[in-house]
Parts: sequence; structure tokens; C-alpha cells
Amino acid sequence: MEVQVIFFGSITDITLDNSVVIDGCVDINSLVQTLIERYPALANKKYFVAVNQKMVHENSKLKMGDTVALMPPFSGG
Amino acid sequence: MSNKKTASIFVSGPIPAQKIADDIQKHSAKTNIGAHSIFLGQIRADEINNTKVIAIEYTAYEEMVMEKMAEIREAFFAKYALTCMHIYHSLGRVAVGEICLFVFTSSAHRRDAIDACNEMVETIKKELPIWGKEICTDESTVWKQNN
Repeated sequence: MEVQVIFFGSITDITLDNSVVIDGCVDINSLVQTLIERYPALANKKYFVAVNQKMVHENSKLKMGDTVALMPPFSGG
Repeated sequence: MSNKKTASIFVSGPIPAQKIADDIQKHSAKTNIGAHSIFLGQIRADEINNTKVIAIEYTAYEEMVMEKMAEIREAFFAKYALTCMHIYHSLGRVAVGEICLFVFTSSAHRRDAIDACNEMVETIKKELPIWGKEICTDESTVWKQNN
């Protein structure tokens, strides 16, 4: 089961990529674990998570084709 | 909701002063308006680690900004008696001294336009997924932080 993960702002300094496709994660917690294994510096980073453009504040199930965004604190304006 | 628009707020690069003038001019036909309030954000030459900011490069999660902006717009029209509200934010590189944010609210009486404009600036900074990277004279970069 694949989901697309997209990165923004200072997170891209860690991932060096704007997006990756991750397979086999059933929920957000397991996805974050997988991402930290791939990008260890993410563990110390503060960010918000959005699934399909909606902010999520707790663990929730993922489904095939979801887009998960990792967003550091906003700094527009 | 006739006032609900989902048009993009983004402008590539700086917002030209001429656009601001043109937008004011366009509103002369709306004769129920008695007050406009305008906020303009300008890139400031901050000093960071003995070097100076020369530009900010903006990126955003554009689809999410559009979705979020539609909700915010609806909430503002419910809260304030606005005739109209226009918001523009830069994407890409904007040099020191140039305009990166333009908030323009209009109402019959001043209070609604002023209060909505002030609250919108705070809302944009807090709630929209936009990021600024400060570029310094020595080409080093620092991710901007909002207070």
C-alpha cells in the first residue's frame, strides 16, 4: 500500500527531496517511524502532519494513494 | 456564498506597487464602500550572524493554502460586514524593499475593514502553509521564523 509523502520548508534540508513514495505503512505513526529510519534528523524536528491537505493531530489510518505532508512551523507574510 | 472565491492568492515574485494602485482604482465603481484597509508586507534587511538579508524565497503547499483560504474567507465574511477582501502573497524570490504580502479589505464603515485586515494578517502568518527562506549577502540561507 503506497502513500506519497511530501516535504516542505526546512524539512527538505533533511530529506533533500520534495517527495517520496512509501510502501507498507498502515497509519501515520508507522509512516513517521519509517521516515525517521530513512532520515534520522527528522526525529529532532518539529512539524505538522496533513493527510490529503487536512491537518491531523493524532494517529490515524492511511489508505492507498493518500498524500501525507510534513510541514515545519509556517513562516509566510 | 457569492463572496467565496477559491482563486489562488499567489503572485510570482514581488507584488508591484502598480497592482496595488490599480486594485484601489477598480473599487471606485463599488459605491457602497466607505472604507478600505490595506496591509503591505515588505522584505526587511535583517542582520543575521554578521551578514545581511538581501531577499526571501517563498514556497508553499499551494493546494492546501487554497483549501484553507476558502474556509478562512468564509469565516471572515461571516464575522465582519465586508464588501470585499483581496489577498496576495508572493511565491519565489522577493528582494529587500519589495512587497511580499498585500491584504485589502473594504466595507461600508471603517471598523470592519480595519479589524478584518488586522486579523487577516495574523491569520495568514499563523495558518497558511507558506515558508520563507532568508537569503543573505554571502549567499547563506536561514529559514524564517514567525513570531
